[in-house]
Amino acid sequence: MLLIECPWCGPRAETEFSYGGEAGIERPTDPYALSDEEWADYLFFRRNPRGAHRELWNHAQGCRRWFGVERDTVSYRIEKSYRLSGAGSGRPAAAHIEASEEKRR
Amino acid sequence: MRRYPVATPFRHGSCRRSFTTPREGASMSEAGHARFGPEPLPASAESAPSARVAISLRSDRGFLNLRLNPRDGQAVEAAERILGQSMPQAANTFTNDGHEVYWLGPDEWLIATVAERAAALGGELAEALSGFHAAVNDVSGGFVELLVRGADARTVLAKGCTLDLHPREFAPGQCVQTGLGRAAVLLAAGDPSTCTIVVRRSFSDYVRRWLENAARPHRACISAL
Ligand SMILES: [Zn+2]
Repeated sequence: MLLIECPWCGPRAETEFSYGGEAGIERPTDPYALSDEEWADYLFFRRNPRGAHRELWNHAQGCRRWFGVERDTVSYRIEKSYRLSGAGSGRPAAAHIEASEEKRR
Repeated sequence: MRRYPVATPFRHGSCRRSFTTPREGASMSEAGHARFGPEPLPASAESAPSARVAISLRSDRGFLNLRLNPRDGQAVEAAERILGQSMPQAANTFTNDGHEVYWLGPDEWLIATVAERAAALGGELAEALSGFHAAVNDVSGGFVELLVRGADARTVLAKGCTLDLHPREFAPGQCVQTGLGRAAVLLAAGDPSTCTIVVRRSFSDYVRRWLENAARPHRACISAL
């Protein structure tokens, strides 16, 4: 069983968590500008690397927060876990919204 | 063309009565939490003094869920003024000074109080926080509180929990949301021989039975409070 470190609750057993797949996938700002192939790639295709992998986990039986994890898919070793930006992450929500607005422009 | 069987429509009264439905003959004057709560625990043969662990149900509890931004000092202050006590800012801790205020997440708390007070307290909190980005919800109907006391209390809980429950690691004032058996629960450490379990009502019957079974070798005393 994996011992996963929740950024808020500390190390907990894997059974307390649920897996959220690859992290850092950005929704295209203008889906209509995409071809069907590009849209399908965004929706369904993931990197599935051998080695270092950035992924999302939810502390489902604990604080119920999403956070990021860097895990090696070969050794299962977890290099680090970190809070995502946004409300409750230690970073003001307003700043997060401004940052994403900035990116959109 | 193949015909598919049609599902038999649900017949009223055909299913067994569950512990979470109102008891027959319960009068309307009984408070909602009492009418819909699990049935009283069957009294055990073991008397309290000889028991190594005592399990009891606290049916007189009301619960409020409070969400606000902990970095909004004014909102925290407004909530604390109504509660008359500080809100825990450190993860997995609780404060106990009139009510129990449990940390549930970086912007979420559970307030446990006397059932009769919950609705009024919720109203007062909502009013005090009306100008802030905050939410107060009365979740009294959704939770049940169980008390596990005695020298073997932590030993019994450790049978179904992956965390180290030794008082050195799980000290008084700490609370954790974790799994007990197959249910998600909130565990809180009172003194070294007392643990509080707050569990969703729909899981309370399962947790109660799990506890009864786990506590059997420990001369368990099971009673309703
Ligand atoms: Zn957590």
